[in-house]
Amino acid sequence: MDEARGGEPRSGERRATVSRRTLLRTAGATGAGAVLAGSLSGCASRETSAGATRVTMWSWLTGMDRYVEAFNASQREVVVDLNVLAGGLSGGYAQQTNAIRAHNAPDIMHVEYQGLPQVLTTGGLREITEDVSDLAADYSAAAWRSVRPDGRTWAVPFDVAPMVLYYRKDLFDAHGLAVPSDWERFRTTAEEVRRIDPAARLTTFPLNDGSFFAGMAWQARDPWWRIRDNSWEVDIGGAGTLRTARYWQELIDADLVRSQGTGTQDWIAAMHEGRLWSLLGAAWSAGTLHKSIPRDSGRWAVTTLPTWDGVPSTGMQGGSAFAVSADSDVPEAALTFLRWLGTDPEVPRIAASFTTLLPAYVPNRAVARESYRGGYFLGEPIYDVLDEATRRVSDWTWGPTALGLFSTLENRFSPVATGGSTLPEAIERVQRDAVRSMRGSGLSVIEGGST
Amino acid sequence: MSRSLPGARSGGRAVLDGGPSGRTSRLGGAAVLLCAPFALLLLGTVLAPVTYALYLSLFTERLSGLGFSGPSSVFVAFGNYADVVTDPDFLHGVGNVALYAVIQVPLMLGGALVVALLIDSAVARLKQVWLLAVFLPYAVPGVIAGLIWGYLYSPGIGPISSIAPIDPLGANGILPSVVNIATWQWMGYNMIIFYTALQTVPRELLEAARVDGAGPIRTALSVKLPSIRPTLFVGLVFTIIGALQLFTEPLVLRSFTGAVTSTWTPSLYVYDSAFVAGDYGRAAAASVLLGLVSAVLSAVVMRISARRSR
Repeated sequence: MDEARGGEPRSGERRATVSRRTLLRTAGATGAGAVLAGSLSGCASRETSAGATRVTMWSWLTGMDRYVEAFNASQREVVVDLNVLAGGLSGGYAQQTNAIRAHNAPDIMHVEYQGLPQVLTTGGLREITEDVSDLAADYSAAAWRSVRPDGRTWAVPFDVAPMVLYYRKDLFDAHGLAVPSDWERFRTTAEEVRRIDPAARLTTFPLNDGSFFAGMAWQARDPWWRIRDNSWEVDIGGAGTLRTARYWQELIDADLVRSQGTGTQDWIAAMHEGRLWSLLGAAWSAGTLHKSIPRDSGRWAVTTLPTWDGVPSTGMQGGSAFAVSADSDVPEAALTFLRWLGTDPEVPRIAASFTTLLPAYVPNRAVARESYRGGYFLGEPIYDVLDEATRRVSDWTWGPTALGLFSTLENRFSPVATGGSTLPEAIERVQRDAVRSMRGSGLSVIEGGST
Repeated sequence: MSRSLPGARSGGRAVLDGGPSGRTSRLGGAAVLLCAPFALLLLGTVLAPVTYALYLSLFTERLSGLGFSGPSSVFVAFGNYADVVTDPDFLHGVGNVALYAVIQVPLMLGGALVVALLIDSAVARLKQVWLLAVFLPYAVPGVIAGLIWGYLYSPGIGPISSIAPIDPLGANGILPSVVNIATWQWMGYNMIIFYTALQTVPRELLEAARVDGAGPIRTALSVKLPSIRPTLFVGLVFTIIGALQLFTEPLVLRSFTGAVTSTWTPSLYVYDSAFVAGDYGRAAAASVLLGLVSAVLSAVVMRISARRSR
């Protein structure tokens, strides 16, 4: 390299060398040029041969391929090219963030509500406040708030994910157990379950899932973040969260619940074999149950979460929205698709064949309810429960480091399994970690509980 | 290329030695051409990424206010490095890897060496079968191996948790479990390397030892081992580097247990920093540190090896 920079060649030999280097450089440039041309042609082919606008999309939503297929078949203006990513924290967010940094993000990106503020800090999303303002009235308030953290709209909500209680109605009925309506009764039910079957437990507190505990704190109506005076107020160790943490620590200490993760093979086996009698899950967990334990049809029922002191409230766990890239050349076409995806009645009809979609767009709830085939769950119709749960979703704001925070939570919870730490201790450490990491990245932070 | 030749002929060669010049120059051209693929690959896949990582490690993304106006890149010199080396999670990961290395490196290399010597010994029968049997786990991709062992370790699915004295996926059992996976996977690979080296020990030497009255064990310790010492050190270097980079097994086991945190090893720490927390500067700094430590350790081992074999 130095030689190439070295100015005047002192001899023919040197000149020959230089020219070889030039050749190399030229070869390299040609290669780079080819790549560039490739990427340019990627951008240039915005139109298909039939004259439709091509929109690229990345998502890890189950069934998105079917929605896209239906959309592409339904009209001739826009063609959506879907690229399926690994789910969220398993790689989806990483891939999208990298693409945003490299300015080659797809036109449409997948952002869950809890991830939206963190994705926003990359500066890679397009503000769509004006474009979709007409939709506001028909969307679930909880979902609409979640895509407007700062009063500007950044994504089109897809579904809502209120937390509910799935329980083994067959076993509850056989042993004359009542469905626990509040958390104190939940504790006595847990004692009963262990008495009836020493190998069984009422449920598990998944130490490896930060979003679960966040949902529990959400139900306790103790938001971990608030926006105040253009600053983030961070309060992960608030009274409601600590109460929740203490409660679950007591259940773990008394060996009334397991602490294994959900979604693992071990968990699926335990659910199927009657070693776990309930699941604290989200609306989409119904789809998980359908898929993981299909032979359990006629065993499970759904109800609203047990309450704290009889106050009807619930949190959300997950839920998806879709955003337009700031670098997109075809935002109008992208929005055309997103409007269709969010509001077209065809979407819940397609979804009914593989999941229990709870659309964020309220008029589509009736469609989802009608299209639902039923047969799996006992008791009250699942959509009645989900509708009631959606009404109970309380206020909550996700912070700009929420995804990283889940990972921190899981790390701090890890020693709880062996008694090396407790949930309340872990929570207090997480609060300190969160404030430190947010301040470290230059955000304006107010420590909660200090005022 | 052809344009450069006249210049070379009339100028350079004449000045240097006055001899016929085209041949040498053409040879030089061929050399460059033949080296080009390697040079390009080295540049594109090693030097450029390393340089970029070094560059990234000196910067951090600064947000302001609520952060919604997007990040700006700020030069922080060695700030990221200071953050990493003072981060208790990183240090904890380094501790885990050190403990892992202390257990796994001697266990695996010792096992590989013993098996290689056994198969190399005169009394062994069915050598090819043993070689293949021990080598076979290496043919299983790391992720698949992690998944298989994860299921074997899982209570209620695999048998191991009911036999083992400690929960293989619990806080105390997880390190031995990872050691076990890595040993299972890499022992055969190292065994093959050692066995191949043993094949090159001159047979006269072994016969001479036998004539001098050395038994099989004495022959192994005093003749065979010193003969393959350089190979042993190469295996040691690879294994130590592999231990430092421990990533796949714990990452896979994370989906089976909460005992493996997202920063359980330095490599996982890098992954978590970059792709979960989105802090590329810190991730780059941690990976540069990891690379430096690997380089220094390899150099130290090679230096010791060179001194011993002198």
